[in-house]
Amino acid sequence: MNPRALTSDILLGMIPIALLVAIWQGLISFGYAPVALLPPPGQVFMRLARQLANAEYERDIAATLFRLFAGFAIAVILGVSIGLAAAASPAVNAVVRPIVRVLAPLPKVALYPALLLLLGFGHESKITLVVADALFQILFKVVLPAAMPSVLTGCRIGLVISCIVVFLAEMITSTDGLGHVLVTAARTFQAVDMFVPLITISLLGLILNGLLQWLRSYLLRGFPEV
Amino acid sequence: MMSGRKLIASAAPLLVCLGLLGIWQIGALVLNTDSFPTALDALRAVPSILGDKESLVNILASLRRMAIGFGVGLAVSIPLGLMMGRSRAVASFFNPLLMITYPVPKAALMPIIMLWLGVGDIAKTLVIFLGVSLPVVFHSFQGAKAVEEKMLWSGAAMGLSALQRMIRIVLPSALPEILTGCRTGLVLALITMITSEMIARQSGAGNILFNALDMGQYDTVFAMIIIVGAMGIGLDAAFEQLRKRLVRWSEPRFDLPLSFS
Repeated sequence: MNPRALTSDILLGMIPIALLVAIWQGLISFGYAPVALLPPPGQVFMRLARQLANAEYERDIAATLFRLFAGFAIAVILGVSIGLAAAASPAVNAVVRPIVRVLAPLPKVALYPALLLLLGFGHESKITLVVADALFQILFKVVLPAAMPSVLTGCRIGLVISCIVVFLAEMITSTDGLGHVLVTAARTFQAVDMFVPLITISLLGLILNGLLQWLRSYLLRGFPEV
Repeated sequence: MMSGRKLIASAAPLLVCLGLLGIWQIGALVLNTDSFPTALDALRAVPSILGDKESLVNILASLRRMAIGFGVGLAVSIPLGLMMGRSRAVASFFNPLLMITYPVPKAALMPIIMLWLGVGDIAKTLVIFLGVSLPVVFHSFQGAKAVEEKMLWSGAAMGLSALQRMIRIVLPSALPEILTGCRTGLVLALITMITSEMIARQSGAGNILFNALDMGQYDTVFAMIIIVGAMGIGLDAAFEQLRKRLVRWSEPRFDLPLSFS
């Protein structure tokens, strides 16, 4: 792809995002939405910038990232080793396959209350939930083809899932982390503060995804994008 | 020999379920705490929940919201995904927007949407719709992108209009991939349904589950987990049957649903 087409693609892609922000601002400027319910985008991004420099908010981000990485790392190690074992031995495959079949469609969030009761409110229950969710994404992609490209595709999906699950787990019960920031803001009806953690998790996801993409293109020079 | 093998293969998921319940039972007996009832206790609590008229109405209301969100989600995302797959301009128009919304848990939008739309059906259905849309768009996009150009050229040469080509060539050839996306979307709809009800505690299956947790009714908690899990497995199996009928001609693939939240 030549650089010029790439630039025009990026510009084209900015249109809906810009449009969204414009509509958001328009709703407020023309008085359709009260500021208490929908804070103006400028205010939200200002708050985001201020929060990112705030030590307490950084601690929340750190807590979220710690759970995310711990869960994701365990899931990758487990997923890849089970996947490779299943690919190498038909006996293991025969056992793993039906287990994956049954457990995969199970909504893992529903297991969270059980994990809470068993493991408590700290890191363990949240990390376990991340492992449970990310593991299956990685397994699907690994069990059959057992090749580097699909392992990495599985990891990429697993990473996005991890972001989502950590956030949800923190929303349900937590004393720190981005999900907790959102819930606290929701309870006190601070609309601005509700947008900030959502944008943060979106940015984190984008950055992590970009890093993994970079790692992928480095490891798989010459392979076509799946 | 072959039929015996098939029998084992089809019984395997059932065996897995029984095995898991067995492990649960043993684990609970070993731990022996109040907050972790045995599998048998939890199973015994299931009929009392399903027999209770109010909880049954709640669960059915959840399922209705889920069905509407899922249906509307498909109606919007499949055409969008197909168009993105066939036109580069459309794809680069929507891609960045989808990228930034991808890692955001859709259920986490619930508190904000509740501010605008209240805690009723509309807010929850909207969140389910959002949750379902992304994987369906993504898979339809992939499916439409992989359509063989030659078929489209022949179609155009034979005088099919763009819309006809879309419906008669792109849609069928992308169908297996689309259905994979739908399957993912279905599981996601269930997850989003539970989480949205957990956040907007008003009615529904998620409400029963998390209220029971708050009130320390552990039998109910675990019974609800069984019910929700059974719903997930049941819906997934039903969809798999439907998929097999619709795309009998294509290679069956070991593509299991992804569970985004």
